[in-house]
Amino acid sequence: MIVELGHFSVIIALVLSVLGVFAPLVALRTKNADWLRVSRQALTLIFVLLAAGIASLEYAYLTRDFSVAYVASTSNSKLPLFYTIAALWGGHEGSLLLWVFILSAFSTVAVWLHWRTQPAIMPYLIAVESAVMFGFLMLIVFLSSPFERVFPPPLDGKDLNPLLQDPAMTMHPPMLYMGYVGFSIPFAFAMAALFSGRLGEEWIKVTQRWTIFAWLCLTIGIMMGGYWAYYELGWGGYWGWDPVENASFMPWLVGTAFLHSVMVQEKRKMFKVWNLFLVIVTFSLSLIGTFLVRSGVLTSVHTFATDPERGLYILIFLGAVLGTAFGTLIVRAPKLKSRIELDSVVSRESVFLFNNLFFLVAAATVFLGTLYPLMIETWKGAKVTVGPPYYNAVFMPIALGLLFLMGVGPYIAWRKASVDNLKRNFLTPLIVALVVTLAAFALGFRSPFSLAGAFVVGFAGSTILADIGKVSAFFARRDRVDYVRGFYRAFRNNQRRYAGTVTHVGVLVTVVGIIASTVYQTEKVVSVRVGDEFVLGDYRVKLAGIHDVRGPNWTAKEGRFELYRGEDLLTELKPQKRVYEATQSPTTESAIYAINMGHVFLTMPEVSPEGSATARGVINPLILWVWGGGGIMGLGILLNMFRPRRRDE
Amino acid sequence: MTRAWQIILVGALLGLFALFYQGLWGNPRYIPTILIGTPAPVFAAPQVGSSDSLSLDQFKGKVVLLNFWASWCLECKLEHNNLLALNERFGRDPNFVMLGVNYQDKEPDALEYLRTYGSNFQHVRDVKGAIAFDYGVYGVPETFLIDQQGVIRCKTIGPIVGAVYDNYVQRVLPALLSGSPEQVGC
Repeated sequence: MIVELGHFSVIIALVLSVLGVFAPLVALRTKNADWLRVSRQALTLIFVLLAAGIASLEYAYLTRDFSVAYVASTSNSKLPLFYTIAALWGGHEGSLLLWVFILSAFSTVAVWLHWRTQPAIMPYLIAVESAVMFGFLMLIVFLSSPFERVFPPPLDGKDLNPLLQDPAMTMHPPMLYMGYVGFSIPFAFAMAALFSGRLGEEWIKVTQRWTIFAWLCLTIGIMMGGYWAYYELGWGGYWGWDPVENASFMPWLVGTAFLHSVMVQEKRKMFKVWNLFLVIVTFSLSLIGTFLVRSGVLTSVHTFATDPERGLYILIFLGAVLGTAFGTLIVRAPKLKSRIELDSVVSRESVFLFNNLFFLVAAATVFLGTLYPLMIETWKGAKVTVGPPYYNAVFMPIALGLLFLMGVGPYIAWRKASVDNLKRNFLTPLIVALVVTLAAFALGFRSPFSLAGAFVVGFAGSTILADIGKVSAFFARRDRVDYVRGFYRAFRNNQRRYAGTVTHVGVLVTVVGIIASTVYQTEKVVSVRVGDEFVLGDYRVKLAGIHDVRGPNWTAKEGRFELYRGEDLLTELKPQKRVYEATQSPTTESAIYAINMGHVFLTMPEVSPEGSATARGVINPLILWVWGGGGIMGLGILLNMFRPRRRDE
Repeated sequence: MTRAWQIILVGALLGLFALFYQGLWGNPRYIPTILIGTPAPVFAAPQVGSSDSLSLDQFKGKVVLLNFWASWCLECKLEHNNLLALNERFGRDPNFVMLGVNYQDKEPDALEYLRTYGSNFQHVRDVKGAIAFDYGVYGVPETFLIDQQGVIRCKTIGPIVGAVYDNYVQRVLPALLSGSPEQVGC
């Protein structure tokens, strides 16, 4: 009964979303504000109804009501409570419901937040958000309902995909969706600007915090996905260029470009069309990502359903959104010529321009790599994969270019940089970068990419340090205080700028983690019997025993490996080869020992009945920097979001 | 926005939608096995670590195990010990030969890989991916078994570990080597 109430709420929400699209249009035409208030109520009510829908489904999970088909297919009576709650977004239907629920929450907040300050934008904002909600709710109600009952109900559920039974994986999809959906607010404001013709800098200023919030969520989501892949998939890598990883990475890349280029429009009133284009592309890529994951067009570890009917519907919906957005842009764009052109190639504007081009080219290469197998299959009928070599070859040079620009951008003058400005800001960093590169070479870096990586990290790192040093000194001298207080004052004076610096430092830390853990990675795959030892870098690993263990809904062979350095026993590592009871699907659970910001990573992918095992040991030095950098990036973004407001914001 | 940009934008969007539309009707998990029972495509390619060429023709009349691998492939490392064990066990048979095909790789990386993990059979380089294309290789590792008449009898997608390995040792390879490929069962 409760599930039917939830189902009914979602159907009402669908009807209300139609009202949400048309009421604002009527309000615009008749200039009657009542219609607008009606649409606001509709939007708020949709949020409440979808919350009810989700609550009813959670109720079915908690009462283990397997007569609900979706509950039966994603949970099981032995599934632990925590994963039972998170199982809601463990499959196709439920995650779509979560998507549209987050969308309704964000739009409601946006409407109440900007209602007074942005009255002219409101009708468009509500109509655009409602239209996107309508698209998703149609899909949920007619093609992918999580509320369907089965009769007779199965005795037990099929269980949640074992790979998803992991803490990082329960939070990864909601964070990603918050990122994807977060970009819908700037997107709606941009569409409102296009429709209404109010094409100034206002929409950019209003949506600035929304943009960085969405970016933050997307970044956390991607980082969590990487961490999950790292220890749950058991191969010890955090990024495999899987189509679905790429699907989340592409909006991140274009979103990052957008985040940077809005600054140019704020400061110099340039890049107007460009920014509209970027925000439309970012949100489109979020939708395309959803399409790629949910339609079964591509093979990947993440694809859940292969149902052409659903796929066709999502494609039509995608066509409607992208067609409208890009169509309006094309029609309206001629109005938007920037008055100001680039004064000089050597200026901050042009660094931003290159930054944007690099990010877009990076997104395009990922896009091509992701879709190339589909193209070949469609037009040649053959199956191919695009492996990491493609991405490493095309993506790395672009990434290095971006890191270099990161060192230049914030410290070069607007309009036209003088030779003096360049010398003052970049001569020392260049020398430092050369020294760092030589040191890296001495430490055993050999591949051109890792050396170039050391160079750009040295360069960008020292420009940041030099700038902080100079500005702190300036404030210290001005206010006659010490350097630390000087830096604090500099920070308080320009929190936005230094929040950006913190984010950039986070990027550098992540890059150092990536380079170090790649260059110095030690790996060994061995076949061992109980009592055998093998050498892994500076460590000795001994298989002390293999025994059976039992969890709530799985059984496993657990290896007990002793990790020694010299004669000292450091720890015991217990990787498992698990089999989940309901699905009989095996997973490989890694065992990790953290030391000196790095990891000793051990998996046991194979156990034979006679008691020998295949073990794979990996030493990943500085790997914690990869996620530590993510944390610093997030801190920078928070400092940016919670900075004191200025009068013009 | 100039006219040219508008046309490019519209064209790109239309192309994308045509592609997605076509893609919907394929099954991404379906991997064709039409090659089983057909003559193995013949190739000649340079060996890993030398410029000398090796050709499949050289092994006419033998059972050939053709293994596609790459140094960046993690599952290849998992099956590697088993491959070495297979060659230990069956390599003495004059009618059996193993050949590795190094796919989408750089030669120094491939050499480093073989040095680290060991090798007891020969490997060729699939420089442009042409061999993999002829064999319809979708990803690595993939393994093909070719019988004495040069006909493909088996295809294994993914690493040769666990039950797959046992099956190779106990049934598939003995059946192929005894010249009764119809009993292969893979």
